[in-house]
Amino acid sequence: MRALRKLVLGETVALPVGVALVVAAGLVCEAVAGSWWEDAGGFVLLALVVAVLAVSLAPAHRRR
Amino acid sequence: MTAFVLTLVGAALAVGLELLEALAIVLAVGSARRPRDAVWGAVGAVVLLAIVVIVVGPFVLARLPLDALHVVIGTALLLFGLEWLRKGVLRLAGRRSPSNSFQEYLEEREALEGMAPPEPGRPDWPARVVAGKGVLLEGVEVVLIVAALGAGPDGLAPAVAGAAVAVLLVIGIGVALHRPLMRLPESHLKFAVGIVLSSFGVFFLGEGLSVEWPGGDAALLYVAATLLAVSWGQVFALVREPVAAA
Repeated sequence: MRALRKLVLGETVALPVGVALVVAAGLVCEAVAGSWWEDAGGFVLLALVVAVLAVSLAPAHRRR
Repeated sequence: MTAFVLTLVGAALAVGLELLEALAIVLAVGSARRPRDAVWGAVGAVVLLAIVVIVVGPFVLARLPLDALHVVIGTALLLFGLEWLRKGVLRLAGRRSPSNSFQEYLEEREALEGMAPPEPGRPDWPARVVAGKGVLLEGVEVVLIVAALGAGPDGLAPAVAGAAVAVLLVIGIGVALHRPLMRLPESHLKFAVGIVLSSFGVFFLGEGLSVEWPGGDAALLYVAATLLAVSWGQVFALVREPVAAA
């Protein structure tokens, strides 16, 4: 069970929660944003993913 | 061409590393218990996986529209890729022990040696379950990665070709026993796989959400370059920060 949980969620909840928020934000933007989303949406998604990675690594930075 | 090469290399690396981990478990079971039971456990897991893929695969492909499929695949790749990338950053910064399948082999073997020995002439079910569970869990990741990368612009061909290369390499390592396990720079390889899977994840998620990537498939390159730059930045920042004594 622990192995299955680790497989699905990984070692930190920050990543699955962060990825879920990125997908949700993308779906909302696709629905409400204008044509700018088609041109620049990829960069918005990339920035959000970079932010998720940074947040998942934040505990390592705090461990000083 | 960019997507084809990246898919092939990404699939080969990701599948190879997952199979190495499975191989470490099967070798440990085989050497600590009986090789025959380790192989039975592994074969059972492969058959179970094949049944799931054959039954579930076509059903999912037939029911989901392409955009929704891209969102699901992008999300799955991001979950796998970012996890590998996070661990890779921590390993390269010295905040986590390096990835080492040989060490996993030794630990698994030590755990199995503590169990009661199998009765002669009877199936060793604990050994079969340990080998089967290891192959099943790593195999699920292999299936998801190959299926996700196979949804790319060049179809399943580069992902399956990459996986086939990985299978041949890992079988070669298995035949030559565990020596090569010690020499592989696994931490660096897993970091690279994290970059590739995360890049495909961002790309597919964008495709599924109606994004027009400037440059088409070449967007994979600048997405990967951005993730690589950010990740190396994190590694350098962590290396420079002093670690508190426990």
